[in-house]
This record gives sequence, structure tokens and C-alpha cells, in this order.
Amino acid sequence: MELNLKHVDYLQVGVTSPKTMKLLPAVGRKATQKVAVADHDGVVNCFGMKKGEAVPVFRSLPGQKISRLELGGALGTPQEKIFVCSGSEVRGYTKKGKQFLSFEANLTENINAMRVSGADLFVCASYIYNHYCDCKDQNYFLSGDKINDMVCLPVETVGRTVPVLACQDRVLRILQGSELLYDFEISGQPSVLELHNRDGGKDGEEVLYGTADGKLGLVQLTCSAPVPKWELDNEKKKGGVLCIDTFDFLGDGVKDILVGRDDGTVEIYGLDNSNEPTLRFENVLTESVASIQGGCVGKESYDEVVTTTYTGWVSGLTTEPQQMEAGPGDEVKMSRETQAKLAALRAELEQLQVKVMQGREKYQQSSQSSTAVSAVPVFSINDRFTLCQEDASYSLTLEVQTAIDNLLLQSDVPIDLLDVDKNSAVVSFSECDSEPNGNFLLATYRCQANTTRLELKVRSIEGQYGTLQAYVTPRLQPKTCQVRQYQIKPLSLHQRTHGIDHSRPMNTLRLVGQFSFAEIHSWVMFCLPEVPEKTPAGENITFYFQNTFLGTQLEASYCKGEGNFKSDNISTISILKDVLSKEATKRKINLNISYDVNEDSVSHTLTMIHPKLEYQLLLAKKVQLIDALKELQVHEGNADFLIPEYRNILDESARLLEEYKKQPAHLERLYGMITDLFIDKFKFKGQNVKTKVSQLLEILDNYDLNSLVDFFNDA
Amino acid sequence: MLVPIFTLKLNHKINPRMVTVGKFDGVHPCLTAATQAGKVFIHNPHVRGKRQAAHRLSQSTQDSDITLLNINQAVSCLAAGILGPNTTGDTLLVGSQTSLLAYDVHDNADIFYREVTDGANAIVLGKLGNIHSPLAIIGGNCALQGFDYEGNDQFWTVTGDNVRSMVLCDFTGDGKNELLVGSEDFDIRVFREDELVSEMAENETVTSLCHMHGSRFGYALANGTVGVYDRTARYWRIKSKNHAMSIHAFDLNGDGVVELITGWSNGKIDARSDRTGEVIFKDNFSSSVAGVVEGDYRMDGQVQLICTSVEGEVRGYLPASKELKGNLMDTSVEQELVRELSQRKQNLLLELRNYEENNKAVPGAIEGESQMGVIPANTQLQTALSVRTATENQRAHIELSISTPNETIIRAVLIFAEGIFEGESHVVHPSAQSLSGCICVPIIPPKDIPVDLHIKAFVGGRTSTQFHVFEITRQLPRFSMYDLHVDPSTPQPKGRVTFSINDRPQRVVMWLNQNFLLPEGINSPNMTFTALRGEGLLSISMHSSGEITLNTDDIDLAGDLVQSLATFLAIEDLQAEADFPIYFEELRVTLTEVDEFHSVHQKLTAAMADHSSHIRNMLVQAEDARLMGDLKTMKKRYIELYNLNRDLINEYKIRSNNHNALLTRLKAVNQAIQRAGRLRVGKPKNQVITACRDAIKNNNINALFKLMRAGTASS
Repeated sequence: MELNLKHVDYLQVGVTSPKTMKLLPAVGRKATQKVAVADHDGVVNCFGMKKGEAVPVFRSLPGQKISRLELGGALGTPQEKIFVCSGSEVRGYTKKGKQFLSFEANLTENINAMRVSGADLFVCASYIYNHYCDCKDQNYFLSGDKINDMVCLPVETVGRTVPVLACQDRVLRILQGSELLYDFEISGQPSVLELHNRDGGKDGEEVLYGTADGKLGLVQLTCSAPVPKWELDNEKKKGGVLCIDTFDFLGDGVKDILVGRDDGTVEIYGLDNSNEPTLRFENVLTESVASIQGGCVGKESYDEVVTTTYTGWVSGLTTEPQQMEAGPGDEVKMSRETQAKLAALRAELEQLQVKVMQGREKYQQSSQSSTAVSAVPVFSINDRFTLCQEDASYSLTLEVQTAIDNLLLQSDVPIDLLDVDKNSAVVSFSECDSEPNGNFLLATYRCQANTTRLELKVRSIEGQYGTLQAYVTPRLQPKTCQVRQYQIKPLSLHQRTHGIDHSRPMNTLRLVGQFSFAEIHSWVMFCLPEVPEKTPAGENITFYFQNTFLGTQLEASYCKGEGNFKSDNISTISILKDVLSKEATKRKINLNISYDVNEDSVSHTLTMIHPKLEYQLLLAKKVQLIDALKELQVHEGNADFLIPEYRNILDESARLLEEYKKQPAHLERLYGMITDLFIDKFKFKGQNVKTKVSQLLEILDNYDLNSLVDFFNDA
Repeated sequence: MLVPIFTLKLNHKINPRMVTVGKFDGVHPCLTAATQAGKVFIHNPHVRGKRQAAHRLSQSTQDSDITLLNINQAVSCLAAGILGPNTTGDTLLVGSQTSLLAYDVHDNADIFYREVTDGANAIVLGKLGNIHSPLAIIGGNCALQGFDYEGNDQFWTVTGDNVRSMVLCDFTGDGKNELLVGSEDFDIRVFREDELVSEMAENETVTSLCHMHGSRFGYALANGTVGVYDRTARYWRIKSKNHAMSIHAFDLNGDGVVELITGWSNGKIDARSDRTGEVIFKDNFSSSVAGVVEGDYRMDGQVQLICTSVEGEVRGYLPASKELKGNLMDTSVEQELVRELSQRKQNLLLELRNYEENNKAVPGAIEGESQMGVIPANTQLQTALSVRTATENQRAHIELSISTPNETIIRAVLIFAEGIFEGESHVVHPSAQSLSGCICVPIIPPKDIPVDLHIKAFVGGRTSTQFHVFEITRQLPRFSMYDLHVDPSTPQPKGRVTFSINDRPQRVVMWLNQNFLLPEGINSPNMTFTALRGEGLLSISMHSSGEITLNTDDIDLAGDLVQSLATFLAIEDLQAEADFPIYFEELRVTLTEVDEFHSVHQKLTAAMADHSSHIRNMLVQAEDARLMGDLKTMKKRYIELYNLNRDLINEYKIRSNNHNALLTRLKAVNQAIQRAGRLRVGKPKNQVITACRDAIKNNNINALFKLMRAGTASS
């Protein structure tokens, strides 16, 4: 079935966090549903739609920023009580807007995930999980890494309380009481959890998860072990998943999966006979989708997907057919309702305009006074700086409530800025004098009108570390700009994994000295991404990492006074050694560094690089030939006279070019890493081989694995 | 939503900007474009049936609708239209770097073939001014040349730099066409026959021009700007990060007014309103757009917009029908309007909140004050421009100093300006240690142009994460790189230009103050400057009789000064006497070099003809030997042939070097004429240009220098 959905805007509220909008259950059979949405101004807004007009049911008073909104109620009755959490407080409202609960959880951190089930309340702050029953403390759990979301299997079907935590370290932790029952490893950082079918399926054990790198999966969490059902890869490089809902949209009796992503994509997946998901509908909004719900809001008996975006737009993708649209020339044809709506809006705008003019004047006047200060409140920025596994580059997304005027990027490490097709801003690189000011990159982005979201790609080099700063200036008077900082870590291209291949030849680095567990943890955090800020519980810890570009691995295990690092890539070890000793010296801690270099590891790494390098070289060679071959083809009239290999290149030219375009400078990066490997290998032997690099490059130009390995061995 | 009415895949690459539609048999429009391997293809879907491959034409084996035309040279421009007085159909004109070919496709015969030494970068076909017959006008290296249907040179003039784009339109509204020329020195020049009527300065190479309607025309620049001019006033412009490949005027929404259609390098096509630049329609190709043309391709009496991509994809669009009411995009107008108004409301609310919060602010009582970047309300930035001479470690520059009056600091300064930086912006971002309330920005404008500096300064406290953005615009005068400070040891310039004006010296002083960075209180027009960009002095002196003498060795500078002064004083015609001994000596050398290169060229051509007859002989001998079975002789002959071939290749290299050298000399000569013209204004200017050109034609070098010195006052 082909879905044809139309976009309708309902209302704009303040900036919203993910999962802060829910549809209240319908009262009658066919009635429309009310929408409850909470924003960063601390306002809970409940409204219904009547003839295309948003009719408020209630609006709470402003307060602290609200991070989650959930529905609850006594088990077995309609879930129509509204629960919100802001700071460390949980509040409850009836559907009429009467506040009946205010509960201070007394946590030191802000609550960022919450679930309500009957009289049970579950809240999660950064690392802490807490379970309350009738506002009395029941269970407590401290997670090893940040908790992004949580869900509880339905008590009605499962018969017991089973909380599931989605943690930053790529693990779903399934709890029993205050204890960990088992955990389930997934390939990306889980960002959102939702019960499949809204009730967890037949046995109430099926949980949908979405990851920050855009994957979507289903897992059955039985009482003893997890059973993975399916996982969808993010091949098209869409944004990370922010919200999920299930709703029977296609009317086939099976609930479809609705997904909202941080690049504004809204998707509907249908489940086929074998319960495999297939994409049925896709639409791209201009802002990240914070909440998604299936239901019926605009007009009775027309189902729709209701979304709220980061900037607070509540809108629907509805099955209701739209009337013929009128052009700008004949506004008379617009429906009465819209006209009235527009007139009201215009009147409101005029009033506001007057107020703003007064405000402006007063602001101007204050500039005459010598005692007054100008203090413009901080505007909110929704930003993400994540490593993309596929092309081993960082993607930086910035989203602001109002249109962005310009962006200044500054970096004190050498990095490459890549072009992103979606990004329409005009970029301009400025000359940088690295000497006195330490700038390696100064670039400005001048945005087109109405750009609220910017996406950039940055390529870093391992071993070179520092800070990338983004100065964002929105189009808002009085003009201000805000700076955001992003760390480029020494081993910036590494990513956490769950385990490594121990059979590879490994180089080891061992540190012994008078340092505490917290100290060495902070050093490791300084070197590697995705390490939790908090010092892990227990005496020692082991983390596993993978280099996203080369596929080499790293094992870091350390405790108080000792640290062991193992990697099959000698460059990784070399970088670690340099940075760790530098950090220790900074804190005046005496380190005893010893290392064990495995000669085989170098040729092993080279063999690992070999297929990549060979493929890239071949690709480059083929791409080079395409134009010449095409010219021959035109000249001769056909390509029959060519050898099959060349004809093949011609046939595949479109795909080859596409691939080549996708990986700019891939070959240069590989060359750079091989050169580093070469230098690092001999650095551990105490030799400086910088003079031989030109010979190495010569060998690379006429690449052959054996001669390269020989060169590494002989030099 | 407007959709293409036809799409074609032509399987031939299309060279950007070399696409046209011609009715070669007088009836059927054929899409004609330059492709690889020095060929032009003609797509004629109307007349099927094989034609004999003969002369230049050959049938494409891949597609029966396509005939290929062999030019055997890289094509650089292409046009089709009526040239002769009584031809049946359109004539195809093909320009290359060395020649122009007029070709009758219908009869498969050359009409004329002309060698053009200045090359043909752009071509237009049509009537110009009072010249009776239509001309094919080509623009090459600094020269414009027009040919009638017999190939007679009917029109010739010079322009400032290499021509990149041309269009014929009635710019002055006198009922006759003027020629608009866009060139690599960023200027759009308007010629009424060979008289220069006006000049518009842009900030990048002008890559395309197109006539809209009346005196209105569209333009595109190499930096991604497109826009519309009405006469000399710019209506609107927009800048994109992509490059405009082709622009065309077409009434796509059927409202009777043409829109500017732009084809972009990323494959996007958009149509913009000629008044506002608002996008009314867009579509996407998978590869870069090559050209946008129009024609009645379906032969049904309706003209379509035809867009082509470099990969040979062709799409045709019909103008929108009445039902669409100008709404060509798939959006609901009401929705858009409501959204826009709500967005504005949100913006005003946010601004209002900024003022309210600001009013609440009491110094020292705000939470997070240091991050918010609170500054005294009376902070105002001071900016100053001053000229700085070269020091040991810095080149001579103009210093823009920006400072705050109190303890606040300037975190960074962004300057957006056109044409003086590598990109469109320049950033100064001091390191965290060296933050202060004063920032000096060195600016080195590469040319003498007046520039608006749009300065954005981020002002706040040392630890702020949010800053106030101060936006200031300062104008950099045209001749800012000239310093009043004079080193007495510098030799006096030998070049001078003298002319008389009927104005008071005060007016000249006013002009000086406006165009130079001068200290206050200058009231004499006699002064001497040091040129910071080049070497040497510039002195200006005015006699009480109104005679002004400019002393400089830089003839370009003298020309700029004369033109600027004449514009300021509104002088229409100005005769001048000039002498630039150094430059004239250089020119004399260049002229003799031109002769030398010419004779070398002739010699080489003769040698080549000689060699080719040798080859023919040797080939016959070698083949004879082969047939006779005399392998020894055959081998010998082939070896000789091989040697001869090598010689030929070497000779070719010499020839092409010689040709390039000749081209640069010829360009220098053309520029010299242009420069001599720029020392005068109005009629005397055109007279000098025409007379100089005649002198060169007659090879009368002495007369040329006399003309350059004295102008044409004597005649």
C-alpha cells in the first residue's frame, strides 16, 4: 500500500527535549485525541484541534526545563494522567490540568529518563536508576556508563517488574530489583527504547531500540537471556534515532513502527509476514524530530503521525486528503478558518511588534547609562559531535531555535572540513597565521535564510589533538553568539567495541607509577572517545576499542598504580605513550613506562590495510581511465573493440565515480597511516627514519604488499 | 507541481555552457552541443533516416537520432542562428581557441572558416547597433571580433581582460542592441558598437550573462553568485556554495514575465522571480547541469525550457498552465504562510524575552554571569583605518583597529567583504592567552577598489561562552594602499598623464579625501604618495589653470585615477596627454616579439607541411616493402617513420609553446590599447582605441606610440 501523507502544522511551543509529547487516549470511539507536550520553558501544554484551530485544554506555569513526558494511571484503566520530570522533580497532572503530584526525587543529577506504571515510578539520572512505589524508594542501580533511556516490560503480561536501561556503552542492561539480571550488547549507542506494539508483544518481552548512529532493532528479553530478532543498518546514513512509536497505520492489524530521527527524517516501517520490517513511508522535516506518536488529532477517523521537532513545532502527517490548494493570486479562495487564523496571527504579530519596538528603544536608551549592563539570556543549542563508523570522520550538527545567521569554526589542530550536500551555507576559509594565535582552521559559514540546522563533516588525524570551537550567531536581536567546544582526542578515530580478537599479534605498553585509579581513568578519557566521565566502580576496568578507519584494535585495562594497553597497531601504542607520559609529567607523577613491540604486528597491520589499499588504488586507476575510454567509445562509435576489462569499466563507470566521490582523500589517509606506522615502528627502536619516508612513498606509488613488507623489515 | 514533459538520455557527454538549439533546415529544432573528442553532436528526433556520412558529419552508432560533427579541435563555444541574408535555416557557429567555423548543417558545408588569434571563449549571434547585417561576435583574449555571413571582419574592439560571457540586448533603450561583455577582470562592460557605454564592477569572473527583458539582464559569477541588473543598477543577487553553470530567461509560471532559470554545478535547476530572486520552482539532475536553452522541441507550437546535464540527460518543461496559478512547487501556500507568521511571532517573542531578561539584570546578581558575557550597556566599539608601511616581518598593509572602551575583550572578529580576501570572509581569532580589548586586522586589498567591510566583533568577558555581536560597516576607500609618507631617496616617477578640467581645486580635494586614506585638514590638491602595493611614487599636482598632472610609472593606476576623477566630477569627454617611457619601452619589445613569434610560427607551419609529405612518402615506401616481402627495408622505413614522428611531436611542442607565447604577447598588446584608452574619457577614449587599432593593423608602431602619448587631439 502506498502511503500518501500530508503535512499539517498545529502549534509551536518552546524548544523540546526528545520524548516530551504524547497523545491522550481518545474518549469516544471516533473522537480526536488531545496532545500533551512539554518544553524547555517548563510549560506543559495540552490542546486539541477543532476545525484546524488549536484549542487549549490547559497550560501549566513556566518553570525548569522538562526532559520527559509520560502518561500513566491505575493499571487496567485508560492511561490519561500526565507525568513530567524537570530537574530532579516529577510532577503529575490530570487530563484537566490539575496538578496532583509533586515528588522531589532528591537526586544530585537531573532526571533524563522516566517511566510510570500504575503506582510504580522509575527514574534515571545520568548513571543512577531509581524505582519508587507510591513515592517510596524501592530499588537502586548504578550503571557503568550514562543511561540514555529506559523502559519497563509490562507488569500485566510479564508478571514482575523488569526495567531495561539503554546505556551509552552500547549495552542494554536488564535489571531485577537492584541487581543486574543480564546485559545485551548492541553495535551502536542506544538512544531510545520502546515496547514493541506498545505492549511488548504477545509475551510482553519485545523491546524496540534505536541507536545514535541510526540503527533500529528488535530484541526479545526473556527472563534468562536476550533473543535478538532483527536489526536494520543505517545504510543511507540517515540521522540518529530520537523517538519510536508503534501504531497500526496501514490498517492490516499489525502495528507499524514509526521512527523520528535527528536529521528530521520521519519513517514508517511495516512488518511483513515473516515479521521483517520494510520501509513504507519517509518524509524529511527541516528540524530534528524529538517526539513521534501515531493517533488521530486533526480530524476524526483520519489517522496521522504526530511529531514535535526540536524548535517546538507540533505537526501531523495525516491521511486526510487536503482540499485543492489556492495560489498566491487568489487568497479569497482560502477557507474561512484559515483566513480567520491568519488575521488573528497578524493582529498578534502587530501587537508584539509594538512591544518589541518599545523593548528595543529601552535597550538603546540603556546604552547611554554608565551603570546599566547588557545581559542577553543564553539561547539553547542542540549539538552533536559524533564519529561516523563508515567513513571514519566526525559529523557535527548544530540546531538552534531560530534561524542561524553565521557560524565560525576555529580549530587549534589540523583538521579537514568536508563538504556536506545537505548543507547549503556558503563556506569561506580564512587565512590562519598559526604562529601567534594557534589557529589551524578558521572557516565561516554564512547561512541561507531559515536555516535552523547545520550539518558539517570534519576529518581528524590520529595523534593530533586539541579543540574545535564553533561560534554560532542566530538571527535574533540583540545579536549574540555562543561558543561550543568539541575535543579532538589523540585517538580520535577509535570507537568502543564489546570484545577484540586476541589471536592478533599485539604490542603492549605498560605503565607503573604512583597514580590513583581516578587519575589514570582521566588520562584514558583524555586519549580516547566514548569513555565514561565517571571513574568506574570496582578496582580495575578493561575497555575495548576499534579503529574505525583501519580496523585495528586496542585493549585498555588499568587499575590503581598500573595500566596495560595492547594494540596490534604500533602507531596507536606510540600515540598513547606520548600522550600519557605528557599528561603524567603535567601532574608531576613519575611514570615507569615499558613496552613490548611485537615485530609481527607491523606486517599484520600492513596485511590488514592491504585489501583496502589495493581496492582504492584499483578504483583510482579505473576512475582515471573512464574519461579516456569514453572518448574512445565516442570516437569509434562503440566499445566492442576494447578488451573486456575496459568494457567493464565503461559499464560500471557510474558506480565507480559515485564510490570515488564518496571517499575523498581515502588513499592519502591510508598513505599517511602507513607512513606513521613506519616512523613509529622505528621510533620504538630508537631510530629516526624520517629521511626514508620519500623512499616509502615511492614504494607506495608502485604498490605491492610484499615489497612494502620487505621495506618495513629491511629499513 | 510542475513535472518535465519529456526526458531523454543522450549517451553523450555535454561540455558545460556549449549547448544550443538550432533549426538547421528552417523547420525542425535540433539540440546541438559540444561533446568530448572535439566533436559536436546534433540531436534531431524529427527527421529519421540515414544520411550519408561525409565531410564533417557522421552518424552516431549508438543513437540514430544523433549526428556527430567532427571539429578536430577542442570546442570552446557554440551558437546557432540566422546569419546569412537568404539561408534556409540556422547557421551553426563553432568556436575554438584558434578558429571560428560557420557551418551549414543542412547542406553539410562550411560557410566560412576563420583563424582567430585571440581565440573564442564566448560567442553571440545577432544584430549590433547600426551594423546592418547580423554578426557572429566572438570574445577572446581581451578582444571582441564580429564576422558577417561572408566571414568579413565587421567589428573589432578591445576590452579589459579575457572575455568569458557575452549577450546582446537593448541596454540603453534606444531600439538598437548593445553588446554586454563579462570578463575575467570582474567587469561587465556595455558596448554600443565599439564605444564603451558603461561598466559595472563585480567581484568575480563573470561566467554567464543572459537578457531578461527590456534593459534587464541576468548574470552569474564564478563564485556562485547569480543576480539581475536593470541597466547599471543591481536588482538582486544570491550566492550559493555551488556554481551557476548556465542561466537563461524563460517564463515558466506563465505570468507573462520571464524568470531567471539557473542550472547549478550540483545538478540543481531553479527558477527565480526576476524582481525578487525568490525561488518559484526547482528540480534536480543527478549530475552537473551543462546548459539551459529553449525550443519548440515537440513541434506543437509551445516553447519548452530544455535543461541538459553533463552526462547527457535532457529534460523539457512546459510553462505552467493556468490551473497551477503560479504555484509550481509542491507546497501549500496557506501552510507556508501560517508557518512563516508563526516563525516571526516566535522570533519576536524571543527578542522580547531577551529585553525582559535584560531589564531584570542587575550587575553582579546574575547566575552564571561570567558565561553569559555580560557587558556594560554603554560599550561601543571604536574602529580606525590607517596605512602602515612595510616592516621586516610584515608587508605594507592597511590596519583596521577595533577596540572596546572598557575591560571587555574581543574574542574574535569576522570581516565579510567582497573581492579583497581569498574567500568572502577574514577571521581574526586570538588564542585564549592573548585576549584583549583591542584587535588589529591587517588588510591588503589586491586591487584599487572601494570595499565595504562588514565587521562582526564578538565582545564579552574572558571566560564567557556567549558573546555580544557588534556589527559595524566601514568603507575602505578606493585608493587606500597609498601612503602620504615619502622616502626622499625614492626616484621620481618618469611616467605622467596631463589633462585639464574646468573645476575648482576644492572639488579635487574632496575627491582625494573620498578616495584616499588621508589625515584631516588636507586642502591642497598637490600631494605625493608612496604606492604600498607596487613600488614607486604617485604625485598629483594641479595648476591654477585647471591642468592636472599625475606622475606615476603605473599606467593602470593612472587610468584608474583618471576614470575615478572623471566620474566624480561628472566629466563626459576628457582628452589627455600621457607619457609612460618605461611601459612604452616594454610594449615596443613586446611588439617586436610578436613579429618574431609570427615568423617562427610561419616557419614551423612550413616545416610541418614538409614533414607530412615525407610521412606520406615513407609510409608508401614501407608498405611497398612489406608487400614485396622486403622486411629489412620495411623495418628501416618504419624506424625512420618513428623518428620522424618523434620529431613531429617535438615540433608540435615547440609550436604550442610558441603559440602560447604569442597569445600572451597579443593579450599584452590588446591591454596596452585598452590602457591608453583608459587615460581618456568619453569620445577621445574611443578615438584613441580605434586609431591605435588601425595603427597596429597597418603595422605602424611609431604612430601607435604617438597616439598613446597625444591621444587624437591632433586629428
